Amino acid sequence: MNIIVCIKQILDPEIPARDFRVDSAKREAERGSANLVTNIFCENALETALQFREAHGGKITVVSVGPEGAEDVLRKALALTANEAVLVINDAPGLADPLFVARTLAAAIRKIGAFDAVLLGREAGDWGAGQTGGLLAEELGLPCISFAESLAPAAPGAVQVKRQTDSGWELLESTMPLVVTITNHEKNVPRIPKTRDVMQSYRKPLTKWTLADVGIDPASTAAYYEVAELSIPRKETQCEFIAGDTLEAKIDAFASRLTEVMRAL
Amino acid sequence: MNDPLQATRQVLWNIDHVWVMYALLLPTMGVAGYGIYRRVQRWRRGLSENRFDRPLERVALLMQNGLLQLRTWRKLYPGTLHAMIFWGFIVLTIATTVVMIDYDFGIPIMRGNFYLYFQSLTVDIFGALAIVGIGMAGYRRWIARPSQLVYTREADGLLVLILVILVSGFLIEGWRIAATDDPWGAWSPFGKLVADVSRQVMSVDAMIVAHRLTWWSHLLLVFGLIAWAPYTKLVHVVTSPLNLYTARLAPIGATLRKIDFEHSEKLGINSLAGFTWKDRLDFDACTECGRCTAVCPANRVGKLLSPRDIILDLRSLANDPQADPTQSYIGATPALSVEALWQCTTCGACVEACPVSIEQMPKIVDTRRFLVMEDAEFPETMQQALTSLETRGHPLRGTAFSRVDWTQGLNVTTMAEAKDADVLLWVGCGGALVERNQKVVRSLAQLLTKAGVKFAILGREEKCTGDPARRIGNEFLFSMLAEENIATLDRYQVKTIVTSCPHCFNTFQNEYPQFGGRYEVFHHSEYLAKLVSEGRLSADLPSDKTITFHDPCYLGRHNGVYDAPRQLVQISSSLAPVEMQQSRENGYCCGGGGGMSFIDEPPNQRVNQERARQVLETNADVVAVGCPFCMTMLEDGINARKGDRDVKVMDIAELLWQAVEQSPTS
Repeated sequence: MNIIVCIKQILDPEIPARDFRVDSAKREAERGSANLVTNIFCENALETALQFREAHGGKITVVSVGPEGAEDVLRKALALTANEAVLVINDAPGLADPLFVARTLAAAIRKIGAFDAVLLGREAGDWGAGQTGGLLAEELGLPCISFAESLAPAAPGAVQVKRQTDSGWELLESTMPLVVTITNHEKNVPRIPKTRDVMQSYRKPLTKWTLADVGIDPASTAAYYEVAELSIPRKETQCEFIAGDTLEAKIDAFASRLTEVMRAL
Repeated sequence: MNDPLQATRQVLWNIDHVWVMYALLLPTMGVAGYGIYRRVQRWRRGLSENRFDRPLERVALLMQNGLLQLRTWRKLYPGTLHAMIFWGFIVLTIATTVVMIDYDFGIPIMRGNFYLYFQSLTVDIFGALAIVGIGMAGYRRWIARPSQLVYTREADGLLVLILVILVSGFLIEGWRIAATDDPWGAWSPFGKLVADVSRQVMSVDAMIVAHRLTWWSHLLLVFGLIAWAPYTKLVHVVTSPLNLYTARLAPIGATLRKIDFEHSEKLGINSLAGFTWKDRLDFDACTECGRCTAVCPANRVGKLLSPRDIILDLRSLANDPQADPTQSYIGATPALSVEALWQCTTCGACVEACPVSIEQMPKIVDTRRFLVMEDAEFPETMQQALTSLETRGHPLRGTAFSRVDWTQGLNVTTMAEAKDADVLLWVGCGGALVERNQKVVRSLAQLLTKAGVKFAILGREEKCTGDPARRIGNEFLFSMLAEENIATLDRYQVKTIVTSCPHCFNTFQNEYPQFGGRYEVFHHSEYLAKLVSEGRLSADLPSDKTITFHDPCYLGRHNGVYDAPRQLVQISSSLAPVEMQQSRENGYCCGGGGGMSFIDEPPNQRVNQERARQVLETNADVVAVGCPFCMTMLEDGINARKGDRDVKVMDIAELLWQAVEQSPTS
């Protein structure tokens, strides 16, 4: 089975809170001293693919859309023994909305060729939009299963997917190819690479395409939503004492004040 | 006849057919020689390693720990008994050589005063001491039975055999003295005693017969022992001196080997094929004394780890002709199990305790390297620490702090800002990113400022030195961090480094030179003690607390720094400091080294709580530390154990800063 895993490089979500800054004018997070890491759900997706390949064979191709530096996350995937890696270089700022990324990924995946499944993380740890998977399926015209924790082979040409829901889990069967977004689960905790594989990952070939190579015109895409304002939530504590002559009066005053505050929020 | 200058005895009195002895000598030496040869062949199968440099230092080590038995003496009872047997046999061997020179080579040296004082009196006394030593060993092995010993029939057999040989020697001597009416008999007091008692109970004729029979039996037993010894743990009479001569000359902190990643077929070690000849000699040098396991902090709290059994199990594999040398030994025995390997704090107590300089801990790290780099199989919390180290340059996942938060309100500059700094204050991850330790670094920075030291920090440019990566076994990550840090230090032309983390200290001092980084490195205790001795700091306000100092393994045992922190403790309080039962070379680990602070230990097997118990035993008000890991581990341990008592864990820099803070000097 040919599995394509889409991977996104993001700002380290574990940056100490007081080091995290937002550029309000640009409406994006500042890089600051933070490191760039692989989005954790993408790691879960790669782990799911690796386990599937170990059990049933196949080939894993990892794809990312991002700046040159995103090569790092692909090298890490190669160190985890992904077979091939493709980077679609997108240096233009502000062109990272889910629809644009999904279209670019779809174009790249078509160019890669035959595949049976595309795995993505359920969402990314930067914006947390959780849109790319569904949009990609739409672009490719394929079925999409979201919040999956594992894959298993089913009848020829089909795959069984275990999906987490609010009230438990569902077992779905789908024809292939399909798009699956992966959530975290105790069984897909990302492994760490063997050192020899890390050393070899730098020697493995990595394909780089420009947007033009995959036929995407940077000017053609406009975001379907706009970030109006971006700020770091501030924690504030205001203390207010409710006055009243009797306990009952205090409780009444407290209740009406509470209603007021709730309405204001 | 009674002229002392003519004193001697007849060699081989009462013995005919002496040629039988010479004839037997040949097969004896053949069997013994083959035993040694086989072992040497096994060592030669090991990889190469140079352990023959600096011969004078090696001879000195051999004298100290071999001839003088200094390390063996560290434990009084076994040290005493071993010294008695050891020196007993040295003297007896010299005596036999004297007989050989005199009788076989015909050079008459066994005469006169030398005969009386040495060949008779000294030899007699040392022979008797050896018997006492054997008796003490027997008491220990058969009655006291400490758990650190290995109880085998071989060990029982050797002890009995040596005892019989020694006793029969005295019988032969006594009967000869009695039967020949030796005028010099009194110079052999114990032989004389046998002679006097024998005269009471047997005739001269009976003595002559008994002498002859016992002489031949004695000979057979001695030859038997010589032939058998190379196949038993007694081979240590050969391997231990060899191991002492080829011992590591660098401090314990410098024992881990660098890996040549370009040319290594396998990273780390998981089979005998990965060991050097010295590692293999280590296996054969083991005397099964068990001191390493007795001092192992993990073993002491009931964990599986036993450095003794690691060495002995590897020895069994190395000496098993059926064993495939490329077969993985990991998991082959409980001592070699993955579980045990991940219990080591790399505190080095085993290495320090070994009387014959076996290096147990590096073999554990070598095996961890295999598990981490080839298998990528190791405890998940350690994986998280290393992943964080790789992506963020520190192992403390989830810290709320950046590397410069601790400087708030202090006038601390970075190397980039202040290029004229004389000293780099290396803060370390533990110092910068753990809230409790930030107070330590603040105290240290204020002390340096007060003393007028021009220092700066690297701030965000600082990265973990790589110590946890190296101890956990990711040498690849360690070497990347080392190269990165050395490049940063080179950029600022750093010459002098002061750090409050003994792990960073050890890495700079002993490990970065392997990568071309050479600096003058001070642990903050050394640097502060220097400032105090130069009069640049003065502790005018000593506290009235009783303080005990906990030796950090990587400062003390790994690098031999014991006195500087104690000097600071001494001046920080008006009350005399107290020592824990285990301190200095015998210091007991806090439980946090070797990546173990990233592991959740079972609640009933926590090394830090055992150390906390030892702290509380001293009734000290404060336990002084000099390491951010010790700080965290001991605070946790003390809090778990102290009950209502008020016992604080404080770094020596905090103690000194308290004593200096408001004083007017400098």
